[in-house]
Amino acid sequence: MIPFTLIRAESLQQALDFLSREGSNAKIIAGGTDLMVELRDLSPDAKGPDTILDITPVDEIRGIKDDGGTITVGALTPHREISTSPIILQAAPLLASACSTVGATQHRNIATIGGNVINGSPAADSVPALIALNAEAVFQSKSGERVSLLKDIYLKPYQTDIKDDEILTAIRFPHLPDGARSSYIKLGRRNALAISRMNVAVVLVIKDGKITEARISPGSTMPTPDRITVAEEIMIGEEPGEELFRRAGKAVSDEMINRSGRRWSTPYKEPVIAALTTRALWVAASEGV
Amino acid sequence: MKKLKLNITVNGISHTLRIAPNLRLLDLLREELHLTGTKEGCGIGECGACTVILDGRAVNSCLILAGQCEGREITTIEGVTPEDGLNPLQQSFLDNGAVQCGFCTPGMILSATALLHHNSTPTEAEIREAISGNLCRCTGYTQIVEAIQAVADGSKE
Repeated sequence: MIPFTLIRAESLQQALDFLSREGSNAKIIAGGTDLMVELRDLSPDAKGPDTILDITPVDEIRGIKDDGGTITVGALTPHREISTSPIILQAAPLLASACSTVGATQHRNIATIGGNVINGSPAADSVPALIALNAEAVFQSKSGERVSLLKDIYLKPYQTDIKDDEILTAIRFPHLPDGARSSYIKLGRRNALAISRMNVAVVLVIKDGKITEARISPGSTMPTPDRITVAEEIMIGEEPGEELFRRAGKAVSDEMINRSGRRWSTPYKEPVIAALTTRALWVAASEGV
Repeated sequence: MKKLKLNITVNGISHTLRIAPNLRLLDLLREELHLTGTKEGCGIGECGACTVILDGRAVNSCLILAGQCEGREITTIEGVTPEDGLNPLQQSFLDNGAVQCGFCTPGMILSATALLHHNSTPTEAEIREAISGNLCRCTGYTQIVEAIQAVADGSKE
C-alpha cells in the first residue's frame, strides 16, 4: 500500500482544525470499506493522499436522534445500527431496509452512512431512501455549519460539493407524513454482498382511497440521485392501482433516458427500472409500512 | 513514514506497538503478531477469509487500518480455540463435514461466533445472513449452516 501519515482525530474540533490547515492533501477515513479498496488499487508510486485523517473516535457524530419532528443520523453511524434502530424501523422503514442491503454483515458493522453518502457512488444503497425522505446533509468546517438538500450535493458520479475543510457530520430528515407507506427494492446480481444493479425507494400517502403525496427515488439510474417528480405527479389525486403504477414506472424509465441518455445498459435498464418502480409502488400501497 | 503508537488488545492480551501507518489490521495480526490463522483471500472485503471480531462484531481485517484500532479489542481464531482441542463450534464444523480445504473456516467460525454472541438461537435465515460475507468454494454452505445450527440448538453443548 502507498505510504501516508495517519492522524487520529479525538474530537470534531480537532478534526476540523486539521482539515482547515491540511484538508487539500488529506483524505478522511471512517468505516474504510471504500477507501481501503481504493488505496490498495493505487500502484506503489502513484500519488495518493499525504495524510489520512481517522475520524472513527469522534463519538459526537455517531448515533440516531429523534426530536419528534426531525430524525438526525450522525455520519459515523454504521449501517447495522440504522437497519436495526427502533427509531428508524418505526419512522423511516425504507431507510432501515436500504441499510440492511449494504454489503454483508462485516461491512454493515463498520461502514458508515456518511461514507455511503459522500463516496457518491450512483449505486449507493442508502441514498435513494434518503432522497425519498427529503434528507438534508449537514457539513461542519472551522468556519461553521453548512446545510444542503442531500440531492443537491451530488455534482456527478463519485463527486460531491464537499469542501476540503469540511466534514459531513449528519444526515437529517423530517418524519414521514401521517399515513405514509413506503418501500425499498434493491436488485443485485445475487441476494447477499452485491452492489446494486438498480434500486428504488418510494413513499405514498393515501387518504380516502386517493393518493395525496408520492415520492419516487431510483438509484443507479441517473448520474446524480433525485426524485422523479414527473412520475410522482401522475399519481396525485388518483386511486392506487396496477395501471397507474405501470404508468408511473414508465415515466421513471423515460426520465432516466432523458437524464442519462441511451447507454450500453439502456436496453436492460429501461424495462427493469419501470418494473421495479411499479413493484415498489405496489408493495408500498398494499403492504408498505 | 513516521511510525504510529498503537495500544490494542488481541485475544485478551494487551499490546503496545509501533506500527507503520499504512499497515492493515490483517497485516498486524499475521506479520507482527504471527497469528496466521486469519487468512487473506481477496484483500478487498469480498470473501470474508480475514474476518475477525472487533469489539464484539465481525469485520473484515483487510478493510481496517491497524492504526484505527487504538484501544480496541480483537478476537481471532486463535482466541476462540481452547489450549487443548477445539471449542464446541469448531468441533461441530468437523462433525458436520463443514471443512474441506479449510481456508474459509477461521472466518466462518468468527462470523458464527459473533452471531451466536448476540443471538444464541438464530434461525436458519439469520445464520445464512451472518455468513453471507464469507465465501466457501468447497462445501456449498449447507454443512456449514448445519454445523452452526447444531451448536445453536444446544445439541453439541
